[in-house]
Amino acid sequence: MSPMSKIRAITAALLVCCCLPATAGAAQTVTLHTSFSPDKLGQSTTVGFGFQIASTSGGLPSPLTGLSLHLPPGIDYITTTLGLSICQPASLLERGLSGCSPNSRLGFGSALVEVPFGTGSGHEIPDIQALMGPSHNGNIVVLFYANGQEPVYAQIVFQGELVAGSTAFGGDLDATIPLIPSVTNGPPVSILSVESTIGPSHLIYYKHVHGKRVAFHPRGVSVPLRCPRGGFPFSANFSFLDGTSTVARSVVPCPSRR
Amino acid sequence: MVRETCSYEVRGKLKRAGRFGVRARARNLLMAGAMSVGVLTGIAVLGAGTSSAAGPRAVAARTITLHEAGSLHRTSSSGLKLNEQGSASGTIKGKIYIHLDVVSPNRVTAEVNIYPNGGSLTGSGSANYQVNGGTASFSGKMSIKRGTGSYNGAHGSGLSFSGTIQRLSGAVTVHLSGSMST
Repeated sequence: MSPMSKIRAITAALLVCCCLPATAGAAQTVTLHTSFSPDKLGQSTTVGFGFQIASTSGGLPSPLTGLSLHLPPGIDYITTTLGLSICQPASLLERGLSGCSPNSRLGFGSALVEVPFGTGSGHEIPDIQALMGPSHNGNIVVLFYANGQEPVYAQIVFQGELVAGSTAFGGDLDATIPLIPSVTNGPPVSILSVESTIGPSHLIYYKHVHGKRVAFHPRGVSVPLRCPRGGFPFSANFSFLDGTSTVARSVVPCPSRR
Repeated sequence: MVRETCSYEVRGKLKRAGRFGVRARARNLLMAGAMSVGVLTGIAVLGAGTSSAAGPRAVAARTITLHEAGSLHRTSSSGLKLNEQGSASGTIKGKIYIHLDVVSPNRVTAEVNIYPNGGSLTGSGSANYQVNGGTASFSGKMSIKRGTGSYNGAHGSGLSFSGTIQRLSGAVTVHLSGSMST
């Protein structure tokens, strides 16, 4: 082995040693996956994101309390026509989706949760809606509305705030996740997975043209004009009730040149 | 006229210097130099007086207080850049172009070009950007970087710059106010 190879091997070993405690110390592991649909440079798109949470001990993962999704730089947030109306959280809680204009819808998804006394296989909350909320400190606010029926009967609204990110990422969607009680005064449920979209796919908006109500598809945020080497980087920080946190990364591949 | 008279006198003495020796020639050269300086100074003074009476180019910096309102429509967008065109009214009237550049989800930089009759103004600045349902608003500061024609040498800083964007149509209204010098 050459001296340079030895140095590389030692450096790699040190790096592994340095990284291991962070992973081993975390009680949860998270897998993040993201997508642009369509994935065409500069074009309106629907951003898909989802994650799966597992416990390193094999039991139920600790309830999720916070999420910060770092978006790649270069996404155009200005020309989008998503969120032309504002949905008030109180109205959403009181009347459900009918309490808000269809023009406030940003996307939708589903989640898999598990109650502490469950089988461990999870129960789906099939209806999660993302809507445009009132801005906070000048930042775009995304309301997430989860409508759970069985076995967890809960209508929950929580919000994510789109804030300016660091130089490496274009924007951060920061959300504080409320604890979802399994039963009245019972322990909170654990989130096993979430899938959601932010974008015009399957959304219909309405506008008035010469006094007539006309349906149209809103324009989504745009895929950056240039794709960095290795693809569009996403990253997310997850915080849990047990005080641990973990980071997961995902890359949307560059579109093929055709 | 003054210059002509002096010139002839100097020439005449220089011609004579050739006949009366080196000392006289040197004295005449000194005299000629002194007279030339005087002539040039006089011309400069006259020139300055004439220029200041003639027009804006030689006037000491004038200050213009701008109160502009613009109404624009989107002409194109590319990636994180929006191009808007329209008309400006207020202190200065003319075509106005705005190029907005998105630098983060809540911040834009802007370049503004106004083309009044006989000149142009170019300014740049940055602003906070905020979405509120169907409209978005921006508010920040702008500097006048340059001007041409009757606004040659225009400059200014700390001008207020704000506006709204109709998100569905892309229509923009913009307000610009503050002082600039030319």
